[in-house]
Amino acid sequence: SERPTLRAVIKVTLLKHEPTGKPIVLEGVFVGGSAGKAEGKLMQYHPLSLCNTSEDERQESDFITIVKLEHRVPRCKALHDKARMALDKGAQAVIFDVSDDANAAAELREIDSLPRPVVLVEAEDAEELMGLVNKNEEAKVVIEIKMEPKWPHYD
Amino acid sequence: PHKQISGVSSGCQQGGCLTCSDYNGCLSCKPRFFMHLERIGMKQIGVCMTSCPPGFYGTRSPERNTCTKCRSECDSCFNKNFCTRCRAGFYLHLGKCQESCPEGLVRSDTQRECV
Amino acid sequence: RIQDRQGPAAPLCPPPCQCEEDGIFIMVDCSEMGLSSVPTNLSPLTTYLDLSMNNISEIQPRAFHRLHLLSELRISGNQLRYISGHDLQGLNNLKVLMLQNNQLERLPDDAPWDLPNLLSLRLDANLLSEVPAEAFRGVRSLRHLWLDDNSLTEIPVMALDSLPSLQAMTLALNQITHIPDYAFTNLSALVVLHLHNNHIQTMGSRCFEGLHSLETLDLNYNDLQEFPVAIRTLSKLQELGFHNNNIKAIPERAFVGNPQLQTIHFYENPIQFVGKSAFQFLPKLHTLSLNGATQIQEFPDLKGTTSLEILTLTRAGLSALPLDLCEQLPRLRVLELSYNQIEDLPSFYHCSALQEIGLQHNQIRRVESSTFHQLTSLRALDLSWNIIEWIHPDAFASLHSLIKLDLTENHLSSVPVAGLGGLTHLKLRGNTELYEAFSPDHFPHMRVIEMPYAYQCCVYGSCDNYKPASQWDTEQSNTNEDLHKRTVAMYPIHGDTHYDPDLEEFQLEIEESKLQTSVQCTPTPGPFRPCDSLLG
Repeated sequence: SERPTLRAVIKVTLLKHEPTGKPIVLEGVFVGGSAGKAEGKLMQYHPLSLCNTSEDERQESDFITIVKLEHRVPRCKALHDKARMALDKGAQAVIFDVSDDANAAAELREIDSLPRPVVLVEAEDAEELMGLVNKNEEAKVVIEIKMEPKWPHYD
Repeated sequence: PHKQISGVSSGCQQGGCLTCSDYNGCLSCKPRFFMHLERIGMKQIGVCMTSCPPGFYGTRSPERNTCTKCRSECDSCFNKNFCTRCRAGFYLHLGKCQESCPEGLVRSDTQRECV
Repeated sequence: RIQDRQGPAAPLCPPPCQCEEDGIFIMVDCSEMGLSSVPTNLSPLTTYLDLSMNNISEIQPRAFHRLHLLSELRISGNQLRYISGHDLQGLNNLKVLMLQNNQLERLPDDAPWDLPNLLSLRLDANLLSEVPAEAFRGVRSLRHLWLDDNSLTEIPVMALDSLPSLQAMTLALNQITHIPDYAFTNLSALVVLHLHNNHIQTMGSRCFEGLHSLETLDLNYNDLQEFPVAIRTLSKLQELGFHNNNIKAIPERAFVGNPQLQTIHFYENPIQFVGKSAFQFLPKLHTLSLNGATQIQEFPDLKGTTSLEILTLTRAGLSALPLDLCEQLPRLRVLELSYNQIEDLPSFYHCSALQEIGLQHNQIRRVESSTFHQLTSLRALDLSWNIIEWIHPDAFASLHSLIKLDLTENHLSSVPVAGLGGLTHLKLRGNTELYEAFSPDHFPHMRVIEMPYAYQCCVYGSCDNYKPASQWDTEQSNTNEDLHKRTVAMYPIHGDTHYDPDLEEFQLEIEESKLQTSVQCTPTPGPFRPCDSLLG
């Protein structure tokens, strides 16, 4: 049966606009029963950086990893291992942009017991988030569980 | 001292790139090029080079050539356990960067070696 | 930057290159500029010159003859086919020469390069099929040599004879098939030797003679048929790799000549036999992995290998473990012995650092009180797929750090809970005589629990009276439901339910349930697996 999924609210605030800046609010989907709250600085990782345990650089402060998955990148590891490795590298949460990797979403939805939040984003939400990344704008991200309205199907 | 100038511009235009994306830079390199994951602020992009940047060493394999970080006390290295040049304050002897030299050798600050 | 400064004193920066001053010297970067030849008007004060990633196919005569102070020259990523000794004339101070990623087919023989101070020479990723005997006669100070990713079919024994100062060399990714005796006789300073990804099938038993300083030897991804006994002369060896070869046996006293060994990687070999004394007296070895060596009937004698932290010996023919196992291996952290025929267990009492034990798929019948006594660091214990009928009531009493216990598929009718208060994962599936419904109070930190019968999950609140009937009918029970599906089931937020928290309170409860880490218990009760046991 299609597993019900909890949606995530992703609030992004540019550090240069803090503390008064109005956050950009995007949405995603939690995977692997990882629904929960997380907060940290946004850090992009290349998909290949989650292939081996090379300690290329350790982040000091709390950070949230964002990875744009691409089907053209040779698959070195199962995605749930990549998610786990990103968390093992110290990420408070991981955001996967699955817009360009159709299989990724299906594969990631099946995984279990992740210690911290892993969220999938796509389409406009992903585009806006990656747009920020591309401008190399330092940003703080807060991830929360989205509260669905009380009677969504009431008609 | 010699300055290491990275002769490779980032992004998709460089010569060694085989497949590329706007967000991740190089996704794969042409044969015999090394893939280096370069961090620029909060971004990390793939860059294809013929030699890894200072502080990294190259490992060749049939499938993929990658750059991996040397030990922290090395400015450059041959592999994970063999340095070829030390960071300031360390002195090279048989591939090891140490703060002191074995008996019979003295520290050379200009060469950062035990001589 | 030099370009911005005018006036006679400014050393010339040849366009279109970019230059930077380094005191009175100048560093020139002409990389990736589409050049087809070396710029002519280079300053004699140039110490660093980068010509990489251009279209240079030959070095014009006297291109570098004034550059006596040049320390580093990079010409990688061009189309050079040959560089004669004359081409590099004048570079008396050169220390680093990078020629990788060109199309060099041969090296000079009659008039070799005269670079007396050269320390690092990169010739990797070219088309060299051989190295002439005299090729390195003019680079005697060389320390680091890259010849990997070429077409060599033999070790360039004669050429290497001229390199007494060589410390690190890679000949990886070539087509070398054999290493002759005395191949590296004069390389007494060599510390690192990479030979991985060749086609090496045979080696002379004296092929590593003379390598008195060698610490790292990489023979991975070759076609070795026999164990490389030639390593016996490498008394300083610390790191040895021969994984992905075709070796079937590791002989007795295999590493008797290598007391400094810290790591040995030999997975992906069809190893059937391992000499009982093969891994003795390796006081610095911290990891030993043996998988699938079916001819191993006895546990190896690890006398003198006292620093071992990780021991993996799976899919062999072990039927018993030595009683003094832990006396030999006091620092053991991970013990993985799955897929053997082990029947009785010794006491692991002296292995006080043990964190993980894997004994799944053996023939274990009983667990005594002493077996795991005082293993206060033990975090994970896998005893699944044995024939355990009885576990002493105090068997787990002192396992204060234990969080994962797997007893799947045994013959248990009861499980002692003393000492299991810290568990987050408990697996008991397949113990068909185990009917007890364990109270959640025993396991305050539990997150994932697998029981033999669905009704045993009712104590964890996942029975049918918590779910609206309609949701129950449409939803097909799923044996591996995950954490948030349980959360939704416990706090239904869809239409037709009488439970109606307001949104803020709902967020808090989600947070609390997250904190309480609600338990994922399987098999989940359902209409065909009711909470009340049919057996009463």
